[in-house]
Amino acid sequence: MRNSFLRILILVLIISCLGVLSIYSSTYQKEGPWQDIHKRQMLWLIIGLVCFVIMSHINYRRLWDANYFIYGVALFFLFLVFALGIIRLGAQRWLRFAWFNFQPSEFAKLAVIIFLARYFSRKSADDISLLSGKFGIFKGIILPFIFVAVPMFLIIEQPDLGSGLMLLLVFVALLYLTHVRLKYIFTLILILILPVPFFWHFLRDYQKQRLLVFLNPNIDPLGAGYTVIQSRIAIGSGGLFGRGWLSGTQSQLYFLPESHTDFIFATFSEQWGFLGSILLLLLYYLIIRQGFIIAQRTQDSFGKLLAYGISLLLALQVFINIAMNMGIAPVVGLPLPLMSYGGSSVLATFIALGILVNIDRTRSVF
Amino acid sequence: MDRKNIFNVLIILMFAALLASLANLDLLQGVKFRKLSDSNCIRLIAQQGARGNILDRNGEVIVDSKISYDVLILPQDLSQLDRILGSLSRILGVEVKELKTAFRNNYFSSSIPVTVASNIDLKKAILLGEYKLEEPSIIIQPRPLRHYPYGSLAAHVIGYVNEIDRWRLTKLEDYGYKTKDIVGFGGVEEKYDYYLRQEEGGLSVEVNHRGKFMRVLGFEPPSNGKDIQLTLDLKIQKIVEDTLSGHKGSIVLMDPQSGEILALASYPNFNPAVFVGKRSKLIAGLFNNPDSPLINRAISSSYPPASVFKIVLASAALELKKINLYTIFLCRGSTMIGARKFSCWEVHGIQDVVSAIAHSCDVFFYRTGLLVGAQNIHDYALRLGLSKPAGFELPYETSGFVPSPLWRKINKFQSWFDGDTANLSIGQGDCLVSPLQLANMMAVFANGGYLTSPYIIKAVGALDFSAKKKKLVRVGFKKSTYEIIGRGLREVVSDAKGTANVLSTLEVEVAGKTGTAQVSHGATHAWFVGFFPYDKPKYVICVLLENGGAGHAASVVAGQIIGAMSKQGLI
Repeated sequence: MRNSFLRILILVLIISCLGVLSIYSSTYQKEGPWQDIHKRQMLWLIIGLVCFVIMSHINYRRLWDANYFIYGVALFFLFLVFALGIIRLGAQRWLRFAWFNFQPSEFAKLAVIIFLARYFSRKSADDISLLSGKFGIFKGIILPFIFVAVPMFLIIEQPDLGSGLMLLLVFVALLYLTHVRLKYIFTLILILILPVPFFWHFLRDYQKQRLLVFLNPNIDPLGAGYTVIQSRIAIGSGGLFGRGWLSGTQSQLYFLPESHTDFIFATFSEQWGFLGSILLLLLYYLIIRQGFIIAQRTQDSFGKLLAYGISLLLALQVFINIAMNMGIAPVVGLPLPLMSYGGSSVLATFIALGILVNIDRTRSVF
Repeated sequence: MDRKNIFNVLIILMFAALLASLANLDLLQGVKFRKLSDSNCIRLIAQQGARGNILDRNGEVIVDSKISYDVLILPQDLSQLDRILGSLSRILGVEVKELKTAFRNNYFSSSIPVTVASNIDLKKAILLGEYKLEEPSIIIQPRPLRHYPYGSLAAHVIGYVNEIDRWRLTKLEDYGYKTKDIVGFGGVEEKYDYYLRQEEGGLSVEVNHRGKFMRVLGFEPPSNGKDIQLTLDLKIQKIVEDTLSGHKGSIVLMDPQSGEILALASYPNFNPAVFVGKRSKLIAGLFNNPDSPLINRAISSSYPPASVFKIVLASAALELKKINLYTIFLCRGSTMIGARKFSCWEVHGIQDVVSAIAHSCDVFFYRTGLLVGAQNIHDYALRLGLSKPAGFELPYETSGFVPSPLWRKINKFQSWFDGDTANLSIGQGDCLVSPLQLANMMAVFANGGYLTSPYIIKAVGALDFSAKKKKLVRVGFKKSTYEIIGRGLREVVSDAKGTANVLSTLEVEVAGKTGTAQVSHGATHAWFVGFFPYDKPKYVICVLLENGGAGHAASVVAGQIIGAMSKQGLI
């Protein structure tokens, strides 16, 4: 039982350390505040660990009760970002606090998952069976979709297409896991997919560009395609054993942009090579697998859905980030959980993992 | 809840996809990406060695290289660039605008350093070297440039250097030549370019994503080209060029015993330095000049040999026993051949072969020519090295031409008449020779019967070629033939009525033959071909003055050269 706490803690610590090493290697030569960025990341990790431990001791059922509050707070912050967030890298994703920038969308993802888990695990008062099996199309699909769509819209408007679509994916996956009829789910998917060509016109220019560049990075090698090309070069030039920590020209000589945030996998892979990258993938896989195991052995349907949601969120983020690093997915602004620099992402991930561990710890109570 | 197993499978599939893609990038395409990564951050800065020097026979430098300095900068982002160009302009004392224009004009690609200033002097280069400590993106590159201490001296032998042209590039690409390489044009520079050529060395440096210099990765020193030693004697060459200067024409001086060319001049000449300085107006002037100063008249132009050709006639007739020492013809100033009157330039009276050579009597040789026959004349001319290239080392050698009845029949569908034989006998008609060929022919009579193959390259690097180059082919005439003709050649000078009697006043005994070539337009070409000292020939000289008047004028020029040489104790 305490096993899962230890296991996840160890895996998380290893990944975080690799992350700090990579952040250090890609920023230690830069001037000014950049040099201390790995220290800030360590600070975030320590705060994150504290959150992790705290969350793993707070009964997750409290989230059931606080559910509307959490959802409301998340929406509030998203609105706040919408109104007065600071603009960085052409996107309005951050709120300025005393000495750090806060990215509410990272937490909003978690809030939506908690909300959905609660929504689909309500029980009927009469026979303690799950209500979701009896949901019609309105209660099963449309109502929850509206609850997902509001934060999703706000996130996409930031613009952060990656995180927005991530919410949608998790929503569909959770729908699939509950007892909502498959018929409804497929209808929803159809409704979502059919107007995609129509939505094309609503995409920002840079988003269109990114999608086109994903299909062929060479159409704009110095503009939108630059990052993908450099990232592929960085990963490929690592070879089997990598070029060694603090070496490797792509990240060390700054050919690779965002080498300590979204493209940290390329930095890592250039220095540690194929073998190092396999190890990293394995570590992530083990965490996600641990999440699934916890979900499977949890009897409580709220805990189960929550555990699945958290694991899926983690899995999708890892997959999409690494895939975009290798150029097999379009470039969207998603960090690699636990590796990329960024306080919000680190805290959100640690909190999510804390909840996961607590689900496993508490399950015997029910 | 079997719906959940699907997610397990999905996750495994996702990771498998990542793994496959990773293996593709790292293992299958790893080498390609490593190369791409290197080309991202490694810049090669070429450094030229010096082209080989060209020396005279005594090891004195005719052409060498002088080091000049170029300033290059690594292309990088604009704000940096402005700052660097600003400080460069302060140090060099050049307007920033000029530097910027130079940068724009020379910019080729972001991976190649750009030359912003060239040919700066040593003092500024040292100042820049100090500035380089704080701004390592600046590269100060020594660049050896061709330097001609004697200006246009021996320009035709040496040739010039310039940027490679398309035609040469296609020919030489396989030998490692690249666009913008400096290669030789004409003369030794072209023919021996492969040896003279320096090998490129250079620095490889690492730059960051903004093109800023990070560190030096490696250095390979450039290597210089091989020196080439010529058979030219700088002192004689100077005398010859000074004397020729002002007369359109050419002079060849060679050693009849070995075939070494001691001096070779052609006028109008050019200063090869204009190609180094890229002074386009002067260069265009050279190419457009109707007197074509770039042509080496000694080997690339051919002229009618005129009376000098009578030596061929005399040897053919003596060899074929058509005449002997005692055969005489009467010159009445003209003779009838067929229905046409062929005139001599003077009334000579009774002439034997020796006096006919001495006085250059046309009537004697018309008659002799008819006895010998045109085909025989042609054959003997070939035995004496005419009508074929001498196999000389400099490029663009002409082969000259000696007509024959057979050639006329095949190529012009015309018959050969006695009149044509008479014309050929005095070296007119279609007959054409180059000054080098005539000098080479004269060497046969100077060295007693050997046709040399003239050469001008004594050594390449440390390898002395002279033993291999010295090729003497026995012509195989009778001894008496050489003696008789030799006497004739001597009397040209010594006889009071000899055509080159002006040379008799010299301390040295000279033998030779003059010629006055008629041309369709303008004044006649003047020839003098001879050797000296008569008893022990050391030099063969051939003087050609284009439109220079009678052969007498050429013998005067020869006399000046021989006089100057003996004054300097060179004989």
